[in-house]
Amino acid sequence: MAIPHFLVVGAGIVGAACARELARAGNRVTVIDSGPGAGLQGGTAAGMGHVVVNEGDPDTLKLCLRGRELWRSDAPPMAERDSYWETGTLWIAEDEETLLQLEGAQKKLESVGVVSERIDGRQLIKLEPALAPDLAGGLRVPHDGVIYAPTAAREFLNASPKVTCHFGVSVKNIGDGMVELTDGRIFEGEAVIVATGISVLTILGEAGARLAEKVSLYPREGHLAITARGTRILDHHIVEAGYQKAAHSTSNHSISNHSTSHAGSKSGSVACAILPRQTDQLCLGSSRRPGEPGPVDPNMMMRVIDRCERFVPSVKTLPILRTWTGARAATSDGKPLLGPVPGLQRTWIAAGFEGLGITQAPAAAELIRQRIMGESCTLDPWPWDPARPYKNNSALTKRESDHA
Amino acid sequence: MRDSICIHVDGASLRVESHQTVTSALMRSGISAVRKSPSGEPRGALCAMGSCHECRATVNGVRGVRTCLVNVEEGMTVEREQPVLKTSMGVSVVHETMSFETDVAVIGSGPAGLAAACAAAELGKTVTIIDESPGPGGRIWSHRGSPPVEARPWIERARIAGVQRLQGYSVIDGKPEELKVASVKDGTRHRVLCSSVIIATGARERFLPFPGWTLPGVVGAGALQSLIKGGLPVSGRRLVVAGTGPLLLAVAKLAVSEGAKVVVVEQASFADRSALAIPLLLSPSRWRPARELWNSLRGVEMYTSSWVTAARGQQHVQEVSIRTPQGIKTLEVDGLAVGYGLIPESRVAAGLGCEIDEDGFVRVDEHQQTRVPGVLCAGESTGIAGSESALDEGLVAGIVSAGRNPRSRLLARVRRHRFWGQAIEKAHPLRDEVLQLAGAEDVICRCEDVRAGEIAGCVSRREARLIHRWGMGHCQGRVCEGSSMCAALEGSDSVRPPWTVAPPEARIETSR
Repeated sequence: MAIPHFLVVGAGIVGAACARELARAGNRVTVIDSGPGAGLQGGTAAGMGHVVVNEGDPDTLKLCLRGRELWRSDAPPMAERDSYWETGTLWIAEDEETLLQLEGAQKKLESVGVVSERIDGRQLIKLEPALAPDLAGGLRVPHDGVIYAPTAAREFLNASPKVTCHFGVSVKNIGDGMVELTDGRIFEGEAVIVATGISVLTILGEAGARLAEKVSLYPREGHLAITARGTRILDHHIVEAGYQKAAHSTSNHSISNHSTSHAGSKSGSVACAILPRQTDQLCLGSSRRPGEPGPVDPNMMMRVIDRCERFVPSVKTLPILRTWTGARAATSDGKPLLGPVPGLQRTWIAAGFEGLGITQAPAAAELIRQRIMGESCTLDPWPWDPARPYKNNSALTKRESDHA
Repeated sequence: MRDSICIHVDGASLRVESHQTVTSALMRSGISAVRKSPSGEPRGALCAMGSCHECRATVNGVRGVRTCLVNVEEGMTVEREQPVLKTSMGVSVVHETMSFETDVAVIGSGPAGLAAACAAAELGKTVTIIDESPGPGGRIWSHRGSPPVEARPWIERARIAGVQRLQGYSVIDGKPEELKVASVKDGTRHRVLCSSVIIATGARERFLPFPGWTLPGVVGAGALQSLIKGGLPVSGRRLVVAGTGPLLLAVAKLAVSEGAKVVVVEQASFADRSALAIPLLLSPSRWRPARELWNSLRGVEMYTSSWVTAARGQQHVQEVSIRTPQGIKTLEVDGLAVGYGLIPESRVAAGLGCEIDEDGFVRVDEHQQTRVPGVLCAGESTGIAGSESALDEGLVAGIVSAGRNPRSRLLARVRRHRFWGQAIEKAHPLRDEVLQLAGAEDVICRCEDVRAGEIAGCVSRREARLIHRWGMGHCQGRVCEGSSMCAALEGSDSVRPPWTVAPPEARIETSR
């Protein structure tokens, strides 16, 4: 009997995780990517690499949690500097009002079994002496961490000899378990999984266009910087919790900038997010504004660093080595697209994770495998199914039309 | 008489002469390694001109200072970089920034920059030169005390014409009408508002990795020249000057005149170099310097078609192996200088959006204008052709930036210089052997200790960077870019701010 063959388009963290899952289930997998190698494009290459359980929406919270579980227990073997490092996340409240929000957030985390610990202002300084002394308090989520996503994507693909990769090729057409390349080559398989991030609806052609009528997928640019070695003055991933308030969001179901899809105006909004890296550096973020990643905008970069300074007052005394931009792929209802593409046979989609793609990738891949192989699912897949009813966020719709 | 002053190195007091760079003062005191690489290897100055960042230290409490760009001062503290403490005692103070307004901003104060500044200023423009070094002259006219004879008239002309100089500043970010500069000494940021920019950032040495090239005491050929001019005594020292190009002979001449025992190792063959005879014959102005150079090198041990295959030593280079047509020779040395020609320094140009050709040179028209309106480029970053060419190109750029048309005789001279530059290049083709000296275990990216074996299978620069961390350190790939392994990688790098890594913009001030 021939070994079943699957196709994965996109070798970012999500596509690579899907390839590993399908290969481990005994299938042959062909991976197709337009970049020069695995994990070298999109959010996988540009992202900070945080693994964070932070979504207030109970379904997505579960996806984060499952993703984190898998990163902790089932990451591919990697060099120490790249592998999962449990920094824990420290959500920080600037004032009492935000601290109250964190209490609510803690209850939500508790309801799905996520351990977290409230920290008052004084303890905060003991835990992280580099933090500003006047912060109200925080919430510590101990098992969160950091992964170096480009290497992780690469090692997902290296994990099995059943995976074959084609890099530097572009897709012309996708349909019913088939992928046609612009160079004329055609691949066929039991199913094709499309995980190309922001371009996913475009690459799906007509079926993508039909889906786009219900749910839009758009880039949300972010600015990041990294400090020199020897500057790791923080042990935790530090994220400010007051972002919601600053971004005038109508939604209250999230505690951070990393998951919500309601941020800011065209000028963009910024929040402090500082991630220590195993290379003894700090990754400083972050901003968000609608649009594809452009060249580094010095004003935006300055706003990000200024915001970081509010929480870590000595941040400007650290040398900056490099700055860059990237984009998260956001959906109009704030949830990823994860499941079969309506109107096509044997064609699946896995994209639109916004800032949580790295966190959720292993869980998303597991879900895709379970559904394709007809196994029982660890999580209820319906909330992310592309055929779900869409409830477009009113704030977002308004914002999008403002900038149309 | 030079004053003797006191500096403090890692807490110990050291008496040194004034008017020299920190790197030079440390080397004179026998300290060639000022830092440790990520894997713990001792490292010291390589380029001595601010490109490699290998000489960086914490100076007067400021992290990431390139000691080759800063002069010693009474009471200065120099410390090896330590991890930043997790406590933040005191407050972070951002230095006060200023805005400078000028018609023409000239980046670099070598021959091209000085000539451009003189021309523009003499035509009535206000001109500001921005340069990383403590004084004017650039690499080729580096000096201690009074500038070399060739440089003096230009420096004087610039002074008379009212050219402002921002010495000790890197251009780290900006756009054609507004440059952001940072002090190499303390990170202070300023803005330079201008209506045109002349980029005269010159060239840096091409380094080709070989076993042992990361040892302290192994420096660039041009670096040795600068260090000697900056006051490093070499009398009685056994030095190997290796690599390729006419610079080796100039460096050897200088070292010999300072009493060093010099062996020159040139990789090009006699046959290749004899091709220079015809362009030399056509260029009478070069006859006398060439003859002088030749005469001064009588008695120097010289190998052609030869190259350094390895350097060895504990904390400092002690032994060098060279491959000669007669076989491998091993020499005991006190220092090794290696440079394989020059490559353009075009990061600022790339950052400003100028078009860069596949060899890294900035594309300009015959008026030295780049494709970006208001941005001109002159000197070695548009093509390696020596200081005379840089001067003339600088004049053209300066005249054009002042809204005038350069005379056709000047333009014709620039074209002739280009011809000479190409002839030099052709006479020193790099042989395959010197491109492949690094073994799998040898470091190719000095900042991040990436070894040749790690990127051997890489196809793209992106992969080398993101997966293996090649070029992700302080120099941002300036050192390894010239090596063949990196040249073979597909794709190009985008230049993003900071164009040069500067000390932080703020300092911690503890309560007084």
